[in-house]
This record gives sequence, C-alpha cells and structure tokens, in this order.
Amino acid sequence: MKEDTLILSFESSCDETSVAVIKNGNKILSNIIATQIKSHQRFGGVVPEVASRHHVEEITKCIQMAMDEAEVSYDDLDAVAVTYGPGLVGSLLIGIMAAKTVAFAHNLPLIKSNHLAGHIYSASFVTELKYPFMALLVSGGHTELVYVKAPGDFETLGDTRDDAVGEAYDKIGRVLGINYPAGKEVDRLAGIGKDTFNFPRAMVQEDNLDFSFSGLKSAFINTVHHADQVHEELNKADLAASFQGAVLDILVNKTFRALKTHPVQQLVVAGGVAANQGLRKRLASEIETRKLDMDLIFPPLRLCGDNAAMIGAIAQIQYDKKDFADLTVNADPSLDF
Amino acid sequence: MKILAFDTSNKPLTVAVVEDGKVLAHMESTEIKTHSVSILPDIQESLKTANLSVNDIDLIAVADGPGSYTGVRIAVTVAKTLAFTLNKPLVGVSSLRVLAANGTDGKLAVPVIDARNDNAFAGAYILKSNEVVNVIADQHISMDKLFELLANYDENNIQFVNVSEHLAELIQNKMPNAEIILTKDSLPNAAKLANLAKDEQPVKDIDAFVPTYLRLTQAEHDWMEKGHKEDGNISYVEEI
Ligand SMILES: [Zn+2]
Repeated sequence: MKEDTLILSFESSCDETSVAVIKNGNKILSNIIATQIKSHQRFGGVVPEVASRHHVEEITKCIQMAMDEAEVSYDDLDAVAVTYGPGLVGSLLIGIMAAKTVAFAHNLPLIKSNHLAGHIYSASFVTELKYPFMALLVSGGHTELVYVKAPGDFETLGDTRDDAVGEAYDKIGRVLGINYPAGKEVDRLAGIGKDTFNFPRAMVQEDNLDFSFSGLKSAFINTVHHADQVHEELNKADLAASFQGAVLDILVNKTFRALKTHPVQQLVVAGGVAANQGLRKRLASEIETRKLDMDLIFPPLRLCGDNAAMIGAIAQIQYDKKDFADLTVNADPSLDF
Repeated sequence: MKILAFDTSNKPLTVAVVEDGKVLAHMESTEIKTHSVSILPDIQESLKTANLSVNDIDLIAVADGPGSYTGVRIAVTVAKTLAFTLNKPLVGVSSLRVLAANGTDGKLAVPVIDARNDNAFAGAYILKSNEVVNVIADQHISMDKLFELLANYDENNIQFVNVSEHLAELIQNKMPNAEIILTKDSLPNAAKLANLAKDEQPVKDIDAFVPTYLRLTQAEHDWMEKGHKEDGNISYVEEI
C-alpha cells in the first residue's frame, strides 16, 4: 500500500486568499477561501494594490482554518505547494512568501504550481483522469484549449487573441448595469431571453483553435449605445441571450474542432466560467447529438473559481515526480504552460 | 534572548540574528536584490552563521513600514507567517525608526523616504544613549509641510537620514544648516532593528498584523472622494 500524501497548498493569484489541505491529490480535507469580491465591487473590478493588502490581512487566518478543519499538524504534512503564476504579481507574492516561510519553518519540500494547471486538475476531485484528455479552460483571465497528454504534460492548442471570456462577460455586464462580477447574472438573464440580435461569431470559420471576443464585445456595446441614442429600450434578457449564444457558439466550435484532431475520452471544463449553466447544458447536448463516447467533466461550483484545493491536486503530480522548488521561488505573472 | 530581525521596506535587504545585544549574524545588501527571492535564503544563511535553528529564536522583529508597498509586504508576510507557524512573539518596528537609528547621538534624526512629487514618508526622532525616541509621528507629508513642522527645532541639530538626491536639493535650499545623510550612507541595519525591538511589546494579534502603509490606495482614495464613507462595519473579505 502506498502511503498517503498530505499537501498544504496556497493560492493567492488574484482576489481570493485560499489555503487547503489535500490528501493524495484527490481528497479535500479542507479548502478555505476568503474572497475579496465585496471590496473590489466598490471599484468595478479587481484593484491590484487593494488585493495585495487584503491577502496580507487574511493569510495566517486561512492557514489556521485550513489546518484546523483538516485536523492535521505540521508533522503530518508531506509538502507545501503554492501558485507562482500566472496572476497579479503583488497578490501572488503573498501566497509565495507565506508558503516558503511555512516550508522553511517546518523543513518541508516546496512545490511551485501553475495556476492554469491547477484549474484543469480541479477535475481530479470529480473523477479519475484518463490520459490523454482535453481541457477547456474558461475564466476571467483565460480562454484556452489544452491537450493533457500525461500527468502534468500540457499542450496549448488554442488561446484567446484578445479578451478572456470571463472578462467579456464583465465588460458587457457593466453596459447592462450589472455589478461586477457579471457572469452569473448574464447567464441567468440568458436563460430567460432569446438570441435575437445575431452578434458576430468571431473566427469560427477559421481553421485554427484560437478565440476572440473583442469583436463580439464591441458589437454588443455599439448596439446598446445606438439604442440609447435613439431612446429605444432593448430587452436585457434578449441581449444577454444573444451575447451568450455567440460566446457558446465560439467555444463549442473551437472545442469540437480540437476534439476532431485530438480524440479523447474525457473533456474537462474548468475555470470560473465553467460555472455557467448555459455552457454546461450546451456542451452536454452537443456531445449527445454528435454521439461522442466521451465524458464531460465539470468541477463542482466551489472549485470553478480560484481555490487552493486545485493547487493541491496538480502539486500531487509534481510531488510524485519529485519536482521540488527551493526558497528562491519568485512570482511569474505571465506564466503559461 | 535571541532575535531574528529583517527589513525589506526599501531597496536594501538586511537580516540579523542578535543575542542579548551581541550580533551573531548580520547581512546587508547594497546591490539591488529581489527581496522576494532573497529574503528566505538570507534568513537561512544568517541562522547558519549564528549556528542556530529557526526554532531557537525567541523573538521575530520586522520593519513594518512605511516604505515600498511590495517591499514592506514581503517582510511583514514572512514575519507574521513565521511567528504564527512557530508560535513565536513578533514585534513590528517603524521602518523610519530603523533609519533614524543610523543618526548620531544627541541629534534630531529626520528619516525621509522619497514618495515622489516632493512628498515623503517622514518622522522625527531624538537619539540619546541608544534610545530612538519619536517626537514627530511618522506620516506621508509634503516636504514643505515637513519643513514647517521642523521650524521649531534647532536647524543645526537636525540630521536628515536616508535622503534621495532630489530631496537633498530641497533640503539644502530650505534648511542649509541641517546635516544630510544620503540614502547610500544610511542603509537600514537589522542589528539595530533587533535592538529597537527588544524593548517593545510583542504584537497581540498576529493575524491582524499588517504593514503600516500610511497611505490609502489610489482606488480607495478616489472612492472616498466621491463621498463614500467607510462605516467600519463592512467586512470586505469573507470566507465562502
Ligand atoms: Zn483562476
């Protein structure tokens, strides 16, 4: 019998301070998440300096809660893991400094993990991953199609050329007068509206796997501004449904294009936008109509946003490979695969 | 009592291990190091030089600002996490007080950290027989305002510490008789920080320990200008 591995993991790349204790990469003993949403709502988006300040306020409280809830002591731990990028440099640094300090103080191996890889591996809490698998990573910072050949072996097949999909939701949400973050409310409105505006589906004809949302965003904003100028009232739900319809067409088109050249048994959808109900339903129905023998895996809602549990999952793979870091680890704000 | 002290609130990085006034290890970097990269290896090396394990330390002392926001956060995060995880007492000392300790006995030391646009983080301290007594509170202040506050003091006895070349020009114009110690000649010294810390009360609530920024962020400042008020009851961060 293989002995259990316990990893204390840290995530602070944006506006969530999170600390988790993960067993064997797939069991959550604790996953504390302190969110700063209320603070950044004052400014309509994440303000990096404010985020960094909040992380310092929260960090030791989160460690304490994570250790307490998991009912473990430092002697029980096998390693400490931390997100070192991508993300906001000032925010990343707080998790990194705290993780390095705990590793140093208790003489534990340190693992530096990629935030994007963490998002993908949040699926390990749902089911056992079978290689190769495909991941559609959709969040406020990223829109990527990633082919995962073997544990921790990533190949980016497609990326966004401009805005991330979650960012586009926030921007059109602002135009609709929806508070940041807008994704959930736009998704709700889309559910009750009709796709009547026929917004452009960028790059769906192109034979590549890259995404673009800025054209869609501009078309949306122009439509609303034009209506404002002529004092015409547009149906918000129909606007939301039309926006979301275009987004889903783009995501679905590129995802199934990728699956044609890279067939897999599992499609993992991860990141904050993976919480989108419209996306969940649409992907499921597309797989059915295409009669694909493929599992569609969505992490539970709590693991779609930023959290340290997912870092514990990818860190387990690094732990098994003895991929350890030393105390000189620094933030890498633009880290990719 | 064995004290581990460090300061990353300005460009130099300094770490020291001091036992009952005796300096067991002292590191001071003049070249620009990346604090986030160097701080833990430097702490490790200092402890090694002092022939101690981190568990042997009785007190952790840190310069807690004002200074570079990111710089101060690095040292404060390491200090509070270390104190928290090893259950050790923690003392925060003003970064300006640490700089003031570089002054001369008998002088009024005025540490200034250039905050651009003729502003500074500054305070004033009287130095006498190893004590560094605060007389003008640390604050973010325009240089003109600082000169006003210092008008009551004997200019010949004033010693500006940690002066940037730009601030040196302003000072020479306004207070030509005051002494100026330039930034390069007044590196923060963690051994002196340890000595300042030994007489202070340890932090009561380590979780609540944060840097002394002395300035709101621009976003919060603008938000308040728009008429918003902090009512003190809103918790902006919540566990979910
Ligand atoms: Zn994320």
